[in-house]
Amino acid sequence: MLELGAVALATGAAVPALSGRVRAGLAAQIAGLALLGIAGFVALLGGTSAAARGGAGTGFRAGIAPAFGLDPLSGLFLALLALSALPTLIYADAYLAGIASAARRRAGAALMAAFLLSLVGVLAARSATGFLACWELMTMLPAAAILVQRRDGPVRAAVYAYLAITHVAGTGVWIAVLVLSHHGGLAHPHALMHAGAGAQTLVALAALIGFGAKAGLIPLHSWLPRAHPVAPAPMSALMSGMMVKVALYGMIRVEFESMPGRPLWLGLTLLAIGLISACGGVLWASAQRELKRLLAFSTVENVGIITMALGAALLLLRAGQPLGASLAFAAALLHTINHAFFKTLLFLGAGAFERATGSLELAHLGGLLRRMPWTGGAFMVGALAISGLPPFNGFSSEWLVLQSLLHVVRHGPLAVALSGALALAGLAATAAVTLLCFVKVAGLALLGNARSARSAAATEAPAAMRAGMGALAAGCVLLGLAPGLVLPTLASLLPGTATTGARLLRHAGLMLPGTGSLPTVGIAMALLLLTFTIWLARGFRAQDPQPAPSWACGQPLVAELAWTPAAFTKPLRLVLAPLMRPDRELDVVRAGGLTQRISYSSNTPSLIDRVLYEPAVRCALRAAALARRSQTGNVRTYATYLIGLLSCALVLLGTGILR
Amino acid sequence: MTTTIATALQFFLLALAPLFTGTIQALKARLQGRRGPSPLQPYLTLRRLWSKSTVAPNGAGIAYALAPPLVAACALIALLIVPVAGRAANLGLGHDALALVGVLALARFALAASAWDTGNGFGLMGVARDLMLTVFGEALLVLTLLIGALGAHGSDLRAMALAASGSRVWGQPWHWCGAAAFILVVLTESGRQPIDNPDTHLELTMIHEGPLLEYAGRDLALLQWSAHARQLLVLSLGAQLFLPHPGGFGGALVAFAIALAAQCVGLALIETAQAKMRTLRVPALLGLGALVALTGVGTFVAGVTL
Repeated sequence: MLELGAVALATGAAVPALSGRVRAGLAAQIAGLALLGIAGFVALLGGTSAAARGGAGTGFRAGIAPAFGLDPLSGLFLALLALSALPTLIYADAYLAGIASAARRRAGAALMAAFLLSLVGVLAARSATGFLACWELMTMLPAAAILVQRRDGPVRAAVYAYLAITHVAGTGVWIAVLVLSHHGGLAHPHALMHAGAGAQTLVALAALIGFGAKAGLIPLHSWLPRAHPVAPAPMSALMSGMMVKVALYGMIRVEFESMPGRPLWLGLTLLAIGLISACGGVLWASAQRELKRLLAFSTVENVGIITMALGAALLLLRAGQPLGASLAFAAALLHTINHAFFKTLLFLGAGAFERATGSLELAHLGGLLRRMPWTGGAFMVGALAISGLPPFNGFSSEWLVLQSLLHVVRHGPLAVALSGALALAGLAATAAVTLLCFVKVAGLALLGNARSARSAAATEAPAAMRAGMGALAAGCVLLGLAPGLVLPTLASLLPGTATTGARLLRHAGLMLPGTGSLPTVGIAMALLLLTFTIWLARGFRAQDPQPAPSWACGQPLVAELAWTPAAFTKPLRLVLAPLMRPDRELDVVRAGGLTQRISYSSNTPSLIDRVLYEPAVRCALRAAALARRSQTGNVRTYATYLIGLLSCALVLLGTGILR
Repeated sequence: MTTTIATALQFFLLALAPLFTGTIQALKARLQGRRGPSPLQPYLTLRRLWSKSTVAPNGAGIAYALAPPLVAACALIALLIVPVAGRAANLGLGHDALALVGVLALARFALAASAWDTGNGFGLMGVARDLMLTVFGEALLVLTLLIGALGAHGSDLRAMALAASGSRVWGQPWHWCGAAAFILVVLTESGRQPIDNPDTHLELTMIHEGPLLEYAGRDLALLQWSAHARQLLVLSLGAQLFLPHPGGFGGALVAFAIALAAQCVGLALIETAQAKMRTLRVPALLGLGALVALTGVGTFVAGVTL
């Protein structure tokens, strides 16, 4: 099934590239992904029952020959890839048809299939060579897909930043995988135990940096809000929805399966980095004015939440709490699944808005729920889900993460418990900022009056695009209603605790033994019924209210006085001024004593960019300038360098330092 | 039997919610040397609003229309999640403390969306401030709930109320820390001074009242009742988690009633003695509360007793 699906996906890449038949190619891709999804489900479900008996799926091979296969964990990610990419491909059918140039259409379809294939490859790889090859392809192909569609200056700069950061940090992946395979840690999870503490620390750190950069963890997140917004909508949906998840998959593989020691520092580091990413990501997301950039920052936040849960799982494993650890691990996986659904949905919705209004600036949208009811409705579901509100899926996984942090506080030593409490408070604050951020997005894009002429003339997206988004919105609702159905399966995926997951009851809601329960269906039903009843009780007289202008202290309401994205987040920005210092530019043109024109712009750059990347770039440029001084272009200078080098070597040889 | 009585009382509290606001207002007036309105005034206001016709701002859409029923439904569900005197029948909603936080957040989203739908600057100003305060308020709320959950080994509110009963718990420093921090939670969530001024009718200073500005008639009545319910909710949490009560049902019920009344008096006193503080200063106050709560967690884990 795996091979068949991969072949169909490859056909889906070849057909548009060679013959230009985009639709046929997309159909082949959909068929291939469906097959791969089934293969993933089979590996997941067959594997988890086999894991309880002691053997699960295809393991990693030690040799150099590329090998492919599936086990429950990669099966889960493969199934998730299929579930979130299938609606994206259906959406892409209509989206690509809207691209004017035939060559770009073909390249877009072909590169998307190739990118999907590389994601599948990373998940299914069962040897170091196959993994690293697919990993590099996965890094390169989005860059190609972006540059095929647009290649103006800012886009090239964004792609350069993406490649630079992910490649420099990506050496971590190479180091981790190669050191692991050198010690035989890929094929035998306990081999690293005998390799000594140094090798273990090296592998853990290298994997944290390499996979963390690709997942978008702060401080290596800087490429993400640059590269994701410039990609075409289906591609940015796949990048934010799945590529960062594949990086998390790699992180789970190394930090959980190949790290038998489970050092304390690793759990605490994951918790801390996750907390910083969650809080920082959402703070800078709330300050953005461009929709896709905002969504990219929010991806940083959600990856942070997942990493926090992973850290909690490690800490609980160390504290000897297998049940709590498997719950925390399940919380991480559940949030991974949920985020793949709602973030893909939101990126696709953003693409539909851009198509309809020609802009992604939040201040230029407005009132789209009325003009694009299907797209707007699906987008609203995504916004509610990502804000962690019942009865949608984001709430259940955030609830589960909070519960697992509660376990950390209860079972850890003092320092661990305090960091767990801090993480708990941080997660609550993150959820509140997310709410603020996505109320802002929903309010500016969907509600109120249109804020620009093109937004007022927007029309509903084509049927295929609506179908893709509708399927994802349905997924958000279903996973919100019955998260408990997948919980035991997810909990049993934590290496070494396969049997504890089986102790969890398969229930629609989340029923955790001894700690708490979340009856998702009950709350959803109550919300629906009570809202409807109160709506009825309010009576039909209220359904037909008298229209009146909105209250502005008696002044007429004009568009210039409407609230802007920056105004809504101003209280938060003032309170957190040290973290969110805006760059402002005010340009007043006066002529003859009269003000002719005022232009004002403000931008809140990420603090990490300011304190980390800008000095780094400055240092690198200064070093390059110094190095250039030695390159005179004069032959005699180079001859001097050669003679100097030679005499140095001779001296070293003569003194016996170099042999 | 006890759970049946408790559930009946839960529903009774739904009707009683406005009385607490009225009582606080009446007490406050007395403390300030005024005669003030009767404690039943909120009921009279609600009745008056219910019989009025509705006015909606131009261009408002579904988010505006849906917000009052949804907010009221959330308040209802939240009150049904919170037990009475540590008991409640299972209505299929569970009694989870963290679920409560989610339901309250949904109401907040609905109200904020309605403000964006009307485009009213005052509504958005109030919502923006409220959401900013919530960032810190929610962190504090979750930390205090964590302290309650630590003693109860879980986030079930019934177990948390039971764990906070008796006199032994008052020998634990973490319980004192939690109670101190919860005072700030009560002030924030009920929108009282020094954090918000519930009596203000100046648009520029409104926080919780701001988004209600565009509503009239039955919609406004629903939203006002929800505000009363929300205040009662935090008072009820405070009474069961952080004020002294015995473990038995009868005694706990008496203690619950006394605790609610005592908190009303306390709020009236604080409102009389305190002026509203600058909104941008509030996060520092809430951060102080969080620090106290974290200290409590620390003493719990370290096993310190008085």
